Amino acid sequence: MGRYPIFQSPLLDEVEHRMGSCRPWHAGPLGKDTRKLVEILTEDQAEINSLGLTHEQIAQRLRELASKAKEGWGEPVCVDEKFLVTIHDARGKLPCPWGHPGLYRKTHIELKNIETGEILVWSDLSIHMVEAHGFYQGKGSVYRLDPSRVKKILEL
Amino acid sequence: MTSILVGLLALSILTAVLALLLEVADSYFGFYGECQITINEGDRKLDVQGGNKLLGTLMDEGIFVPSACGGRGTCGLCKVKILEGGGPLLPTEEPYLEPEEREDNVRLSCQVKVRSDMKIEIPPELFLIKSFKAKVTGLRDLTATIKELNLQLIEPETIEFKAGQFIQFEIPEYEGCEEPVYRAYSVASATSAPNGISLIITRVPEGVATTYIHDFLKEGDEVVFNGPYGEFYLRDSDNDIYLVATGSGLAPIMSMLYQIVDQKIDRKVTVVFGARHLEDLMYMNEIKQLQERTSNIEFIPTLSKPPESDGWQGSTGRVTDVLDKIVETGDNKEVYICGNPMMVESVEELFKKKGVPENLIYYDKFG
Repeated sequence: MGRYPIFQSPLLDEVEHRMGSCRPWHAGPLGKDTRKLVEILTEDQAEINSLGLTHEQIAQRLRELASKAKEGWGEPVCVDEKFLVTIHDARGKLPCPWGHPGLYRKTHIELKNIETGEILVWSDLSIHMVEAHGFYQGKGSVYRLDPSRVKKILEL
Repeated sequence: MTSILVGLLALSILTAVLALLLEVADSYFGFYGECQITINEGDRKLDVQGGNKLLGTLMDEGIFVPSACGGRGTCGLCKVKILEGGGPLLPTEEPYLEPEEREDNVRLSCQVKVRSDMKIEIPPELFLIKSFKAKVTGLRDLTATIKELNLQLIEPETIEFKAGQFIQFEIPEYEGCEEPVYRAYSVASATSAPNGISLIITRVPEGVATTYIHDFLKEGDEVVFNGPYGEFYLRDSDNDIYLVATGSGLAPIMSMLYQIVDQKIDRKVTVVFGARHLEDLMYMNEIKQLQERTSNIEFIPTLSKPPESDGWQGSTGRVTDVLDKIVETGDNKEVYICGNPMMVESVEELFKKKGVPENLIYYDKFG
C-alpha cells in the first residue's frame, strides 16, 4: 500500500468510503479533491519519486518536529533555529481510515519556516498516513501535505 | 439513429426497474421488525424498531451513551457491553477495543446495528444523562483565543452534575459543516446554580466546533447538549487538594472551587494555574472573590514567558516548576489536573515522584 504503482481494489474503495464519512471534519482527508483516492496516491507517489524523497523520510522529519512541539505545551517551540512549531490538542482520537489498529490524538501541528514565513500544517494521523500509506491527503484538505511544499518548507 | 434512441430508452427503463427492485429489496431485507433491548438484566426494557445503530436507538429512547463524534466511529467513547444480539465484531470497531474489552463483549454502539433482540449492559449513571435545550445568554472573551459561553436552560429547566464533569454540545449544520457533530466541554459554573451552565471554549485552528462557537453563535440562539459525563470530580476525603490547570483546563477547576466554597469543604486547597502571558490569565477576579469567602484556598498563577511590559511580579515558569518548589512530600495529598495532555502527563509524573499514590491523581486530559 502506498507503493508505486498503486492499484484500485475493494479495500481502497472501502478506505475511500471511510474518508468520505469523516466529513464534516475539515471536509475530511480527501478535501475538495475530485480525483479518486487511487489517483491521489499514484500522483503523489510519482512526485515523491521525482523529488528524490521517501515517505519514511518525510514522516520521520514530521515526527521529530511534532515531538519538539509537544515540549512546548501549546506554545511555539523554535527548532533548529529555522522553524517555529506549535501543537494544539483537541479532545478525542482518530483511527486510520485504512483500518489499522491504534488511535491517533487529535493534534494540529503548525510549522512556520522563519525565513520564508511559509506554513505547513499536519496531525499525528497525517504522519502515520504518509509513512504507512503514502497518503498526503487530497487537495483542499486542511492537512494536505503537498510533497513539493513539504520539501521546500522543511528544507529537505 | 432511431435504433440508438430506442436502445438508450430501453437502457434507461432497465436501470429504473433495477433501482426500484433494489429499493424494494432493501426495505424488505433491511426491515428487522420490532426488537427488544434488555438493559442491565432487566432494569430497563426497550421495544424499538430494528435497523438503526444502537447508539441512535438508545438516544431516541432517552438513554445517552457518550459520543464526541456523533456516531461516526471516530472517538471510541460509545462503548457498551453487548451480551446477546450484537453480531460479529466489525472492522470499524477493532481499533478502539483492547483485547480484554473484546473478550468482555464490549462493542462500539455507534457501529452495531439493532437487528434482533439484544441484551446489553451500560453503567447505571447513564440513566441520569439527559438532553437539554438551552439559550445563549452570554458570550464573553476571556482571552484572545478563549471564550466563555453562558447558557440558560429551557428544557429541562435545571441540571444536576458533579463539579468537574463535562457535557456533549451539539454543533448544528453550518457553513463548512455539513452535518451536526458533538464536542465535549467541561462545565465551568457552580453546581449550586442549576438553571444554567458556563463553558470555556478555546479556539482550535480549523476546529469545526470552536469555529462555530467563536464565529457563528450569538446571544439568544438556542442550543442542544447532553450530559453530564465523566469521572473527573472531587472525591470525599480529608486530603489536601491540589488543582492544576492550563488554558481552558481551568473550566472544571472553577466548578470544583465553587463546590468547595459553597459546601464549606474544610480542606487545604492549592490552585496552580499556568499561562504564557498576563493576557492569558482568566477568572482572576472570580478566584479572588472565592478566596474572600474562605481562608483555605491558595492560588498561584504562573506565567511561562512574561515579557517585561507585562510588569508581572508573580511566579514564573511552568506549573511543574512551581509544584516542584512547593510540594515536599506526597503525604495526604490528592491531585486534580486538567488541560494540555503533555502538561497533565508531566504533572502526574511529578506528583508520583513526590509520593502521591497513582489512585489519588485524577485528570481530564482533553485528548
